[in-house]
Amino acid sequence: MFYKKKNKTVYSESELIELSKSNHQYFGALYEKYFDTIFRFIFKRLGGDETVSGDLTQQTFMKAMVNIQKYEDRGFPFSSWLFRIAQNEVNLFFRSLKNNKTVDINENQLKSVLEDVDSSASMTIENQEKLIQCINSLEPEQMDLIELRFFQEMSFQEIAAIYDITEANAKMRIYRLLERIQKNWK
Amino acid sequence: MRKFTINTKKSNLEPTKEQILRYKNFNELSQNHKKITKRPKKTLYQDPKMFLFLLLLGLIALLLFA
Repeated sequence: MFYKKKNKTVYSESELIELSKSNHQYFGALYEKYFDTIFRFIFKRLGGDETVSGDLTQQTFMKAMVNIQKYEDRGFPFSSWLFRIAQNEVNLFFRSLKNNKTVDINENQLKSVLEDVDSSASMTIENQEKLIQCINSLEPEQMDLIELRFFQEMSFQEIAAIYDITEANAKMRIYRLLERIQKNWK
Repeated sequence: MRKFTINTKKSNLEPTKEQILRYKNFNELSQNHKKITKRPKKTLYQDPKMFLFLLLLGLIALLLFA
């Protein structure tokens, strides 16, 4: 996505980031480009809560705008920085709730987890409930990883960028979690 | 805290274009950003409440160290 000035100057994303550090109006182009992606990400994480998703998305961009000075290009896409902020915002929201919030997930999303946990198991209601129980018994940070990989369908590279870890480390963390779910499954 | 449940009612958990557009507002974000980041017009000691607070702080310090 590019930002066009009156004199038709076209800026690259990295230029826009640098310009945003001195003039926040340039952040508008980045907002336009990434709003939908971040909204979708938060919407899915909240299981379809539209109003809260809207608020948290605005809050995410507000934090990004305020902290854009601190942003450093470490070779990861700019979106991973936004995802990290969004991830923190959603986690803060969950922590602020007194009661547990139920997050809806689709059968298809569960299917991919089940295939990795027990490829011979079929998607019966009992198996789905059993799998949900196994996932719900994990620590919140572990649930985040499962959610990113299977429910948000992110690649290991994208997950690594969000957590600022290597791709191999992201793979290892998820495989260990799957092993843990497998143990509970049996 | 959160717990996952299986979505049985809705088939799709993707937001619609209308839902996204309803919350997309850079002007609002920009105005809120200005509110947060703008420096106060008055200096601290020109604010009556802050002046009294600073005066009180000064008096306490004077009493303690005199």
